[in-house]
Amino acid sequence: MECLIGMKFDGFSLIAHDNSAGRSVLVMKQNQDKIFHLGDHLAMVVCGDTGDTVYFGEFIQKNLAYYRIKNGYSLSPSAAVNYTRHEMAKRLRQAPNLVNLIMTGYDESTKQTSLYFMDYLGTLADVPFAAHGYGSYFALSTLDRYHRSNMSKEEAEGLLLKCILEVQKRLVINLPSFSFYFVDENGVSSKRTVKTEPAKVVGESTGEQQSEEMDVFV
Amino acid sequence: MARRYDTKTTIFSPEGRLYQVEYAMEAIGHAGTCLGILAKDGVLLAAERKNTNKLLDDVFLSEKIYRLHDNMACSVAGITSDANVLTNYLRQTAQKYELVYKEAMPCEQLVMQICDLKQQYTQFGGLRPFGVSILFMGWDPHYHYQLYQSDPSGNYGGWKATCVGNNHQAAISMLKQEYKDDIDLKDGLDLAVKVLHKTLDSTKLNSEKVEFATLTRKDGRTVIEVLPSGEVDLLIKKYQDEVEAKKKEKERQKAAESQTKME
Amino acid sequence: MASVLADKYCSKSLRGILMDGECGPGHEYNYQPLNNSFTVPPGIDPHHFVSPFMSDSSDCKIKFNHGTTTLAFKFQHGVIVAVDSRATAGSYIASQTVKKVIEINPYLLGTMAGGAADCAYWERQLSFECRIYELRNKERISVAAASKLLANMVSYYKGYGLSMGTMICGWDKKGPGIYYVDTDGNRFTNNIFSVGSGSTYAYGVIDSTYKWSMSIEEARELGKRAIYHATYRDSYSGGVVNLYHVQEDGWTKVSQTDVKSLHYQYEEEKNKEIINNEEL
Repeated sequence: MECLIGMKFDGFSLIAHDNSAGRSVLVMKQNQDKIFHLGDHLAMVVCGDTGDTVYFGEFIQKNLAYYRIKNGYSLSPSAAVNYTRHEMAKRLRQAPNLVNLIMTGYDESTKQTSLYFMDYLGTLADVPFAAHGYGSYFALSTLDRYHRSNMSKEEAEGLLLKCILEVQKRLVINLPSFSFYFVDENGVSSKRTVKTEPAKVVGESTGEQQSEEMDVFV
Repeated sequence: MARRYDTKTTIFSPEGRLYQVEYAMEAIGHAGTCLGILAKDGVLLAAERKNTNKLLDDVFLSEKIYRLHDNMACSVAGITSDANVLTNYLRQTAQKYELVYKEAMPCEQLVMQICDLKQQYTQFGGLRPFGVSILFMGWDPHYHYQLYQSDPSGNYGGWKATCVGNNHQAAISMLKQEYKDDIDLKDGLDLAVKVLHKTLDSTKLNSEKVEFATLTRKDGRTVIEVLPSGEVDLLIKKYQDEVEAKKKEKERQKAAESQTKME
Repeated sequence: MASVLADKYCSKSLRGILMDGECGPGHEYNYQPLNNSFTVPPGIDPHHFVSPFMSDSSDCKIKFNHGTTTLAFKFQHGVIVAVDSRATAGSYIASQTVKKVIEINPYLLGTMAGGAADCAYWERQLSFECRIYELRNKERISVAAASKLLANMVSYYKGYGLSMGTMICGWDKKGPGIYYVDTDGNRFTNNIFSVGSGSTYAYGVIDSTYKWSMSIEEARELGKRAIYHATYRDSYSGGVVNLYHVQEDGWTKVSQTDVKSLHYQYEEEKNKEIINNEEL
């Protein structure tokens, strides 16, 4: 149902999540945030079982804040993600948690950007780009094809849009809205949102127009 | 008076003292000396060896200096069996941290953990405090080279140079005089020899009686070394030669002075 | 006792929800049922015990009162809450006079969908917690905080077979508030929510008409109408429409209307419209 996309470049990363929150066949809202700010330079986007995502996300968020207060410094992105993985793996054998996530951060001491993929089984991978949900079946190949680590922010945004458009075009599930964030040395950027326009009637439908439409799907 | 209040760790005396904790500190005052010096390019620990019986089989590389994890080592003064329990706890704690975070435990966190344990033993019923003071040397990316000292009450502090064990007051006052902020490890070792020489009971210092360990960073990795006895002997010899030279110099001057007087 | 039981028999470990070993069970901000208030059978893992009775293939499935239509929406003059009043057990209509709006306190309403008993129990518990909050903090609890309390309470028992989908509606410093909370642990806020088997029908009516700038009359009429249309299509919904309006000074119950009379009223209006159109 849900879709997360993340990608890493030289000096910054980009993470995106869809905005829908649903239950069975219903969409309950189209402006849901799925990001957790974990520190000045660290954030994660989550999807999965809707109850679990919030509780696991808040648990990690609060424990990282606790670490920061207790020690006077933050965990590095790599330590934070390994901690998260540890918690995930712990839950897997007692009270499974259906949470998938993408975490990204900028390490101020090593000046490195990192992007991590993690699923509910506790699989952790350091990757140049990642996607979760049905959308990943489409977005991953688009990223395989077009992702270059030296892209600019504008190019990165274009690539993200490519992925989102592909998901919206081919995936049977309706995901009309995505939010995305840049993470770099200045921290996590403010939220920006991509939305498909609501349906409206445009002129009379003619045979020609229809065949044009068909072409797109050939 | 004291009798009524010193049988349990958990009870304050009317003057607000915890006798058992104070006794534990007393016990450390008689233990082998441990000394630590923080230099700009490393940290060092030096420890006095008490068991110097010839018949002892030297199965241990070092008696009093323990490596805790990749970035830390400690030396202990006090009851050795207590110390073994604590170092084991320290090592486990460090590994637990590494299991969760996949990186070495920052120094102060480890010190804090062990001090929480020590503190509990001063408060919860029927337990005797650990009769151990520990000197920690370590490196972490947050505060780089560090030297800490902990005592049986569960207090700890970060130091530039410090000493615990037998005759530690004398050693500390000497360190206070001789320590310079930009001291390097080489001079630190010389200073350590000098201080130990003055504070140890034995007249003749040798590699049987002391051990040295250094912690430095090389190529982005922490290197912890226990100095081989040959090197320790060299350090000691260097110091003794200096002393000898100074003595001779003094005698020569004296002789010269008396010569001039005579004339 | 309660905490011991929870610790021992909880399939979802309590410790997972706490800060690592920092605060033990019974901490103020961690929801713990008070002694004797909610006891689970000892010696059984409730999650495993209850699961065979919850599955559709079970011969002896527990039949909850399920069918419902409830809705709530925010607009410029507050929150409209409208619900039907039918309770069903399977194809049997158990009652036509259920109060599905739960009055938590003069500023907060909760709606009932799913297990009637679960909603009634937990929202009563919530009303207790909200009063405690008020006494401790000398001010009213926000809708956000109240709904979070409920979400924490029910998610503590996630997998135990609780069933509820509720909207917590009210007015606080931020203005009108609606939060949807269910036993899966979901908690959302939005302008419009509808819950229950007839919710799709209710959405169909609200979504096509709703405007933030509606007048009070328009909004109340919309709430009533949406429930009516849901009861018309969904056989598990029916009875009367209970309509509440939350404004700055708390909630008021606006009306209670039999859906039959609404049906005839709307039919008449429709016929009039048709006649009017033909005349034009």
